[in-house]
Amino acid sequence: MAPRTVAITGLATFVGRRLTERLRESHPNLQLVGVDRRKPYSLDLSVRYHEVDLTDPTADSRLAEAFEKEGVEAVVHAAFRRTPTPDLETDHELETIGSLHVLNACAATRVRRVVLASTSMLYGPWPDNPNFLTEEHPLRGHPRAHCINNRVEVEEIVARWSARHPEAEVTVLRPCWVMGPRHVDSVVSYFEPPVVPTLLGYDPLLQFVHEEDCLRVFEQAVMESHPGVFNVVGRGVLPLSTVLRTAGKRALPVPAAILYRLRAIPSQAQTGDPPEAFFDYLRYLWTAAGEKGWDAFGEPLYSTREAWASFVSSRRMRRYR
Amino acid sequence: MSRPPELEPRESEAEPREADVLTEALGELRRAILARLPGGAAARAAAEDASIDWFALFDELRHRLNSFGMDERTGEVDEFGMDELAVRRAEPLLEFLRRRYWRVEVTGLEEVSSTGPVLFVANRSGLLPWDGLMLSHLVAAAHPEGARPRFLVADWLITLPFVQPFLARLGGVRACRENAERLLGSGHSVVAFPEGAKGAAKVFRERYRLQRFGRGGVVSLAIEAGVPVVPVAVVGAEEVHPILFKLESVARGFGLPFLPVTPTFPMLGPLGAVPLPSRWSVRFGAPLDAGAFDHDAARDELLISRLTEEIRQQIQAMLDVELRARESVFA
Repeated sequence: MAPRTVAITGLATFVGRRLTERLRESHPNLQLVGVDRRKPYSLDLSVRYHEVDLTDPTADSRLAEAFEKEGVEAVVHAAFRRTPTPDLETDHELETIGSLHVLNACAATRVRRVVLASTSMLYGPWPDNPNFLTEEHPLRGHPRAHCINNRVEVEEIVARWSARHPEAEVTVLRPCWVMGPRHVDSVVSYFEPPVVPTLLGYDPLLQFVHEEDCLRVFEQAVMESHPGVFNVVGRGVLPLSTVLRTAGKRALPVPAAILYRLRAIPSQAQTGDPPEAFFDYLRYLWTAAGEKGWDAFGEPLYSTREAWASFVSSRRMRRYR
Repeated sequence: MSRPPELEPRESEAEPREADVLTEALGELRRAILARLPGGAAARAAAEDASIDWFALFDELRHRLNSFGMDERTGEVDEFGMDELAVRRAEPLLEFLRRRYWRVEVTGLEEVSSTGPVLFVANRSGLLPWDGLMLSHLVAAAHPEGARPRFLVADWLITLPFVQPFLARLGGVRACRENAERLLGSGHSVVAFPEGAKGAAKVFRERYRLQRFGRGGVVSLAIEAGVPVVPVAVVGAEEVHPILFKLESVARGFGLPFLPVTPTFPMLGPLGAVPLPSRWSVRFGAPLDAGAFDHDAARDELLISRLTEEIRQQIQAMLDVELRARESVFA
């Protein structure tokens, strides 16, 4: 049964913002409730906005109050950093403790569906990964990437909560790197410049999902019943070298020993993590198996290559406008 | 910086007309000069041919620069990172290694005419996975459709820079159960080396002595996937990189499990990666039809270890036969 009222946390994030827009258009009768700590500039007037700061110790009771008042039946939890910040403490409060608050509020009210926006980066880039990571594979994260580790913790919290609350349906979606005309995060900003630093001697297989496919899966997860964990990936893989070449970008291969001592890589400078927290993802394999997600949510519209082409062509149009 | 892009289309429209006028003028000038030059018609024609169409060249260059963003090269890889184009490019080299360099003698491959996927189990030898490359080349060459089996590569090789992308493009896959299952499930044959790192890291005096076969993973894998197991004995690959001894304390500094010392490495540096020209013989044994077993048999540890040992002994016996028949390592 489709929910009548859906709450979305983190309206300024990609998933939060675009899913709100998408649900607004596809389900006109659906009541949307938005939760964030600052009101976004471009929020649809029909969205009931509640200002709650998830780092606030009383956030859970305030959320519960809001959910109760609006009669929220499903929650999409997407209040996660799109780019890590050097403030490790706040990041942890917001992501891990914030998720705890959201789940507590869900348990206290009549929410019967929770959708968690996770990421397949949580499997971590490890040299001993199999070529395709299934949903059962342990989430090993990355030892130096604080936001990734926070979100591994979030998944653990959600899994434990789900076991304690069998009445609620929990869907965990793990998209890989999202590409498309509108999505921006630290990964996308790595791919923006015409010359991109890479690791000398490594050419890993990458996997992208188009933002349209990603949002469609989120929409289905909210509106239909799909309990479980799903990887959200496009079909096919591309080597990093091909990815850069098809976009006309130049690779700047740097030996890992040097790159990992640098601090001033533009896409990495502000994240508070050392370069390996990101560049290990361009070193080892971490591609996820998408079959389970494709079976549940249908075939993706864009393959990895098409998602990448969509990103590249949108950026090209912007640059030459 | 560069000109505003709005100007470009107009400019390119104007250009051909100007260009036509100029080419005509230049062509007339050239003809006039040629007519006054001494020499026959042949020299005149040659001079005509040698002239370069500068405008076409300029246009071509400009076009290239403009379309720099999306060029036609694709570099499509399959889901395990194998690049058909790279394989086709490597084919002549592999053929040279097979016919001229290692003079590989193949026996028993005709009997492996199975249409479905097959699990090849071979003895691992030589430091770099030349044996895997060669085996997949041999099988692909004999296969009616040229289907190329994927060879499994141990972890420590797959993490090395340069080696990893190179092997992946040519059909190497990290050795782990998930990968092998997925490959067999999607209809690819697989070449496995159950000795693992122990096999590749044998020192020279232990050559052709098969090490323990992992934990019986190959057999249970074949039973679960329902594919036949073909034992393969490779003789000759052991001598391409004979490890005289291993340096373990030095290697730890580089993050490697051990540093091999071969006659050419590390003395000759990167040249040490060039294999020695030993003579090879590859013998494919009788297939073990693992598909005939019950699916539950994959969990019967005693049966698995018995079958594993059987395969191991079969390979060892084939190795012994080939070694006895061999007269010289290199000749």
